[in-house]
Amino acid sequence: MTGLRGGQPETGIAPGAEHAATAEAGGTLRAGGLWTDAWHDLVRRPLFWASVVVLVVMSVMSVVPGLFTSQGPNEGCNLRWSKVGPSAGHVFGFDVQGCDYWTQVVHGARPSMVIGLAVTIVALIVAVILGSLSGYYGGWLDSVIARVTDIFFGLPFVLGATVVLVAFPDHGIGAMCLVLVVLGWTTMTRVMRGQVIAVKDAEYVTAARALGAGGGRVMFRHILPNAIAPVFVVAMLNVGNIIAGEATLDYLGVGLQYPTVSWGLQLNVAQDFFLDYPHLLIFPAVFLSLTVLSFILLGDAVRDALDPRLQ
Amino acid sequence: MWRYVARRLLQIVPVFIGTTFLIYALVFALPGDPIQALSGGKPVPDSVLQALRDRYHLDEPLLVQYALYLGGLLTGDFGETFTGQDVFTLMSEGWAVTAQLAITAWLFELVLGVSLGVLAGLNRGRALDTLVLAGTTLVIAVPVFVVGYTAQLLVGLKLGVLPTAGIDEGWPVSYVLPGLVLGAFGLAYVARLTRTSLAENLRADYVRTAVAKGLPRRRVVLRHTLRNSLIPVVTYLGIDFGNLLAGAVVTEGIFNLPGIGQQVFSAIQSKEGPMVVGVTTFLVLAFLLVNLIVDLLYGVLDPRIRYAGSGARA
Amino acid sequence: MKRFVHGRLGVGLAALALVAAACGGGGSEESTTKTFSVALTEPAHLNPGDSNESYGIQVIQSLFDRLTELDPKTGEPKMQQAESITSNDQKVWTIKLKPGLTFHNGEKVTAQSYVDAWNAAAYGPNGWANNYFFGNIEGYDALNPEDPDEDGPKEAPKPESDEMSGLKVTDESTFEVTLTAPLSQFPLTLAYTGFVALPKVAFDDFKKFDQAPIGNGPFQMDGVWQHNREIKLKRFAGYKGNRPAKAAGLVYKIYPNNDTAYTDLQAGKVDVLLTIPAAKVPSAKRDLGERFLDTPAGTMDFLAFPLYDKRFDDVNLRYAISMAIDREAITKAVYNGAYKSSKSLVAPIVPGFRDDPCGQHCTYDPTGAKALYDKAGGIDGPLELWFSNSDPTYRQWMEAVANQLKQNLGISEIKFRSIPAADYLTTLSEHKATGPYRQNWVMDYPSAENYLGPLYGRDGGSNRGGYSNPQVDALISKGNGAKSIRESITYYQQAEDLVLKDMPVTPLWNWRQQSGHSDNVSGILIDPYIQLHVDKVVVK
Repeated sequence: MTGLRGGQPETGIAPGAEHAATAEAGGTLRAGGLWTDAWHDLVRRPLFWASVVVLVVMSVMSVVPGLFTSQGPNEGCNLRWSKVGPSAGHVFGFDVQGCDYWTQVVHGARPSMVIGLAVTIVALIVAVILGSLSGYYGGWLDSVIARVTDIFFGLPFVLGATVVLVAFPDHGIGAMCLVLVVLGWTTMTRVMRGQVIAVKDAEYVTAARALGAGGGRVMFRHILPNAIAPVFVVAMLNVGNIIAGEATLDYLGVGLQYPTVSWGLQLNVAQDFFLDYPHLLIFPAVFLSLTVLSFILLGDAVRDALDPRLQ
Repeated sequence: MWRYVARRLLQIVPVFIGTTFLIYALVFALPGDPIQALSGGKPVPDSVLQALRDRYHLDEPLLVQYALYLGGLLTGDFGETFTGQDVFTLMSEGWAVTAQLAITAWLFELVLGVSLGVLAGLNRGRALDTLVLAGTTLVIAVPVFVVGYTAQLLVGLKLGVLPTAGIDEGWPVSYVLPGLVLGAFGLAYVARLTRTSLAENLRADYVRTAVAKGLPRRRVVLRHTLRNSLIPVVTYLGIDFGNLLAGAVVTEGIFNLPGIGQQVFSAIQSKEGPMVVGVTTFLVLAFLLVNLIVDLLYGVLDPRIRYAGSGARA
Repeated sequence: MKRFVHGRLGVGLAALALVAAACGGGGSEESTTKTFSVALTEPAHLNPGDSNESYGIQVIQSLFDRLTELDPKTGEPKMQQAESITSNDQKVWTIKLKPGLTFHNGEKVTAQSYVDAWNAAAYGPNGWANNYFFGNIEGYDALNPEDPDEDGPKEAPKPESDEMSGLKVTDESTFEVTLTAPLSQFPLTLAYTGFVALPKVAFDDFKKFDQAPIGNGPFQMDGVWQHNREIKLKRFAGYKGNRPAKAAGLVYKIYPNNDTAYTDLQAGKVDVLLTIPAAKVPSAKRDLGERFLDTPAGTMDFLAFPLYDKRFDDVNLRYAISMAIDREAITKAVYNGAYKSSKSLVAPIVPGFRDDPCGQHCTYDPTGAKALYDKAGGIDGPLELWFSNSDPTYRQWMEAVANQLKQNLGISEIKFRSIPAADYLTTLSEHKATGPYRQNWVMDYPSAENYLGPLYGRDGGSNRGGYSNPQVDALISKGNGAKSIRESITYYQQAEDLVLKDMPVTPLWNWRQQSGHSDNVSGILIDPYIQLHVDKVVVK
């Protein structure tokens, strides 16, 4: 159901999140209680901690790669070592360019993490704003937003992204983020709209309005806090989606470019050589999958925690 | 109900025009001169350049080109590629392949996905359940191209059981491996969804009541729970069919299937506007229609839903 | 989506490279009923006048005979459909056809078949890819009026004629061609598939013809072109030419890329693959053994400098960049040794080729390179490397070059500009490339002139970097006007030396063609244009 899912069937779980989350969390629970309860539930889940650990490691890797390797990206490469397999001192072996593969894989964390998080945050903001407007005011505004959402919702991800990225060949991380946001905001917007509609007629909101609370106050104090939880869960699950989507574009050769180092690019090169040099495929694939997996598990755990019925 | 359908169909019109225009404008914005590129670096005489530009209306402004294109569509003319092939013919050949691939993948999702989900849901908390959960999570996390190459290497080349490329052996043999790879994600997802939904329903009041009333548990599960549990699964399966069609690009590339995914990917690179827009248009249309059908189906499965007006489910 | 051998694979002249298992002589197999398959990339067109890429030409060569072909040993033109091609002044040529030749539909191949085909190809409004090959025939201009204001709003007027005045049919089997200027190599150029004859039925509907061409070669279409799937051919029973087919038929199986085709070759699902992807070469050598073929090709890769950019004025900077690149290591790492590093501007298969005319300036020497780089005062701002996105290996070798320039010269910021294939040549022609760029050259005919004139001549059609040296121009014209090939070679070599000293480009490597075939077939002969000679293939 997500726009991203359209193009890359490999990851993400957002569709279900929409069902589960829309159905459950939209009720009249008090926001604070919901989150506190969820937290108490989360700390008891080993999978939650496992994914947190992986994600913390990956985040540190992307912020201060210097902790893991002394070399910069594409540094100290020697073609004589091209594709040589793992050995002592070079645990991951070397890539096609003869660069230390461990170093390259470590530096590959940054684009994935940055793009995954930045895209999700921006898309979440867009979704919350558009979804709230659409759900709260309804009418023609709702119709217009709904149709625009439909247009972007139906656009197949890989095709849409490929056209844009081929049209602007010297794109960097920023442009990649933009493309992924443009193609990835629709699901959350729909969930948000549904939530706002569900919450806005709740008794306590009516009560607040009856007591003379203004539109803005009702929106920010009463509707948003109660409507946002499921959207938040969808967003969290979406990070994995985005990361995998970005890697797919790199893999297809329309994504990031040298001198940027990314897992998707490494997998793109590996596809030519993996029969003879499997280490080229394995290491970035494991790092990428582990990161995506952790975001999914984290999202799953948070959803389950927020959803009292599934405990 | 019919008013609802009519309204939904009407809503498709602006979405359809918006999508085609968006794609058309993007292709228009692609840099490069497709005619010059066709020559592969050889000089192109003015007269030839002029003839080809006139033929494809390349000198017209964007809006005129788009209007000409829409006009053609209305008369059933999808345009032609720069190599003079009819886009509609090309597309229908590609669609046949992609549809077979998507159906295969979809069948995997339906049969394997639901079975695994039911098995896991009925054995919640036991080893089998854990195995299914772990396995499906893994499948969801590994990128499709890695799954594809690994499957090709292991099943095709090392074991030699199934074809690894092309469609020589037709459906279903040639489509088994690619279908499984394409459907892997959905399969895992369906299994998880079925499991969750089933588990949820098994704890529902009506089940407890039915069991308390003395009905055999097995019958309760089969007669009541399963049907209710499958509502979200059916919804997902329906919508996912559109996704499978659109998601075939990568799988088709790995397994060398001449489907629309391959066609449109190379069409983008060579700036073949009519091809890109044609394929995308069909994808979007299919997607919108499937969405509508699923919403209707949802009502059939769940009698509580009525198609009044702007219901909660958009 | 991957690995496009880029397009200007032109004239099928040239010394054919005989490949290991070649000479599949003997006529005993001719009665065979067996067929074979060849992996192919989807061609753009099968109409000979409109096809200029190697895939289309491969199929057309199976369907059509040409006027001439080239002797595999001497490179001399041999007659195919022509009985004789003669001229007194090299300007007016008389072409006489062999008797008894027919098209696949029984129609006779006549002088008119040729003249009509050539007029159609040269007629501007038809918009065919091989139009410009007819530019040296008298009367061509009347069929191709110029646009009065280039890209302006005015359009080129409609041509006043659809027949070139330089073509005259004298009798059923003879016609006369008048050129705009003398050209001694005219019989050679006729070996190109753009010059074949067309049957009358073609002119009824060119579009339909493109889908199932009726030719006059050893094979004929068996059904229509199944786009993106296959092109099926069967032996032409009424064939009277000089290259009868040994197999009963062949199928061109169309693949989106050579990787998948290679997978099928391994699985025995396709008999011949002309281009094994470089990444698969080491394993192919191992797996295919005797069935692995390595053919020298005429194609060269260069790194060219944008001479219109002041930053590249200093020749020492260009030397430095050239000397900082380890060509040998790159061909090994990226191309798995499939290509051969080069220090020359021409390919080894060309007469007059010398191993190392470039010397120290093309020899990997990091220390020397750094010294020259410092002497030149380095380079301002980021260095941008330009290439087209049509093949993933371009990015891989550019990455190796970038890493070496960083390490050996200390250039800190290097960026990639990967341009869509459709836009690449235009970008270069308009001098928009702001840094060294990939330059590729596919030869048209095996002569040093074909490598030097178009690329380094002041008015060379493919001189996109703005290089100009009057001495080089003079030497090239001297070579062109020389009386013998040997004499011309000395001039060309002097020109090559001068160009290398100026270094508008630095040679990188020379392509080789790695092909493979299955156990089913023998007699596989592949020429430097990546063309398989289908008539010689024997199916076991």
